[in-house]
Amino acid sequence: MRPVWRYSGRAVGTAAGLLTALPLYRLSAQDSARISDAQSVLAPLVEAYGVSSAEGRVREAVKQLLPAWVKSETDTAGNLWVRVGQGGPVVAFIAHLDEIGFRVSGIRDDGTLELETRGGFFSSLFEAQPALVHTDRGEVAGIFLPRDSGFTRRTPPPLRVDVGAGSRAGAMARGVSPGATVTMPKQYVRLAGTRATGRSFDDRVGSAAQLLALRRLDRAALKHQVIFIWSVREEIGLEGAEAAAATLGMMPRRVYAIDTFVSAESPLEPPNFAVAPIGRGAVARALDNSSVTPPAYVDSLVQVARARGVALQVGTTNGGNDGSVFTPYGVVDVAIGWPLRYSHSPVEVVDLKDVVSLADLIRAVAETW
Amino acid sequence: MVLTLVLSLGPTVRLSAQGDVDRLAIRFASMTAVTGLEQAMVDSLRALFPGSTRDQAGNLTLTLGRGSPKRLCTCPLDEVGYVVGNILPDGFLLLRRVGGGGRTAPPLLDQELEGHRVTVFGTRSAVPGVVAVRSTHLTRGRVATGAPDPVFTVDNAYVDVGASSAAEVQALGIAVLAPVSLAKRPQLYGERLLAAPAAGRRAACAALAAAVQAKPKVKGTVVVAFTVQSLYASNAGLASVKALLGPFDDTKTAALPARYMDTAVETVAFADADKLVREMTQWMEGR
Repeated sequence: MRPVWRYSGRAVGTAAGLLTALPLYRLSAQDSARISDAQSVLAPLVEAYGVSSAEGRVREAVKQLLPAWVKSETDTAGNLWVRVGQGGPVVAFIAHLDEIGFRVSGIRDDGTLELETRGGFFSSLFEAQPALVHTDRGEVAGIFLPRDSGFTRRTPPPLRVDVGAGSRAGAMARGVSPGATVTMPKQYVRLAGTRATGRSFDDRVGSAAQLLALRRLDRAALKHQVIFIWSVREEIGLEGAEAAAATLGMMPRRVYAIDTFVSAESPLEPPNFAVAPIGRGAVARALDNSSVTPPAYVDSLVQVARARGVALQVGTTNGGNDGSVFTPYGVVDVAIGWPLRYSHSPVEVVDLKDVVSLADLIRAVAETW
Repeated sequence: MVLTLVLSLGPTVRLSAQGDVDRLAIRFASMTAVTGLEQAMVDSLRALFPGSTRDQAGNLTLTLGRGSPKRLCTCPLDEVGYVVGNILPDGFLLLRRVGGGGRTAPPLLDQELEGHRVTVFGTRSAVPGVVAVRSTHLTRGRVATGAPDPVFTVDNAYVDVGASSAAEVQALGIAVLAPVSLAKRPQLYGERLLAAPAAGRRAACAALAAAVQAKPKVKGTVVVAFTVQSLYASNAGLASVKALLGPFDDTKTAALPARYMDTAVETVAFADADKLVREMTQWMEGR
């Protein structure tokens, strides 16, 4: 989900061979088949790298996980489309493929890389951490340099990456060039119970939930065409969604943005709003910084969930969503999320029960609404 | 507290007969040895050195050769780390730093915990957890421009292991005093560079281990000691080795130059470790 700042009422969308000591996709002995299924789809998506504008590997991972009967297409913006069923009114679901990170903006004489951010996050979370530069020739390992002064401030100076090259020529000989994206290594790791941690659950959970819904979809039950979109460049300004919205124009009746519900269920967050506990199901994002779901549509969503016995919470949080760029075309944006702790950090935490709930809700909406 | 812990969950590394300092350094850098709580790492090292013993202070010692001179070759194993200080009713853990206190604590040591994965060494297994961080989205509009920007401290470190209650935490084998460290993920980069927390110490110990495994022709007696508690109680581990096995005619401590000291990406060059292996071997042989 894209962080949104508001200044003078105007939305501004900028932002500010490894080893592990632990098991990776540890399957808990008590996992149900649904939890295992959700994890089998989510984990590979989480471990694929795809900074905004470089989502190709994530898109390919999604395509690999699509049911065999699905025909997909990729538009010129990079969005992945799947159309199911026929007739109107058309409805669309949209989840984004991209993740926050950096892009190389320059290479210094000493071989260290200057960076620009892609999306909004606390840069302190990357300082003094392992780095990966994603080049055309593969991944180049390095480190985000620790600061050498200013130790009384939490926020570091602009970050740089050292790939151990020693010179600009050395860095370029490794395949590094301006424009390459940069992240840190990430892993999907199970926590206690049905919880898991990793980076870029935002919005790989949404992407996974759309896949899981498609896998279980009763195509014979569809009353109209349903479009599933996996969008690009959400974190840097909903750019992929804008292209999709322009393509569809006024055709869709509703768009369901499937994206993170940033939860305040944490000791560090004020409990004024966004208090949707993890593990208690999907969340109707009835109000965020980019859109307001009409109350009647929230009610309808609740009814759909109740009719199918799907856990659903209703709440308000911060951030923007892809569906908001469809609204100028007269399309109603019904944003749906799942609760996530510690958004846009290396340790986002999700409960797999919520992934199942979200997938079931998407399926229910597609088949019955 | 019974420390039947597995602090050394590093990757399985097959050692060549002559030792392989690169692999040893990666393996050691994957281990955790919070100062004063080094037992599991010491136990792992004992398997590498038949005939070694753990003394009453917790140091691992191995005697090579016989006669005089009697010399001591040493390397500190421990690192600044954390233990569980409290378990909250909602399942979050609070931490207490161990070692590096007061004037010697690196200024951003605690901040490197924030928003990162940690390992809690419970009595049953190593338990993955994360240190909570505020969500970027929920901060927007709530922090004024120019507001104070203090560094993160351990007092704000809430560890989330996925539990919802103190009872769930206890069921994971976690109790007060369980050691906690950053998840160890050594990073290799550049020309044989190793980045990891305490990489300098671990690579130095790897060099000493490799020198021992090379079976040097020792001059006189050399006591090799991998010591504990160098960062607590005035280097008590080394002092106890000297008290228990000394006096020694000479002492040498394995050490390596490191960049980005006391950060999560402390970096050493394997080339320096190679050189240290040669130096240690020559010193043991009296050359």
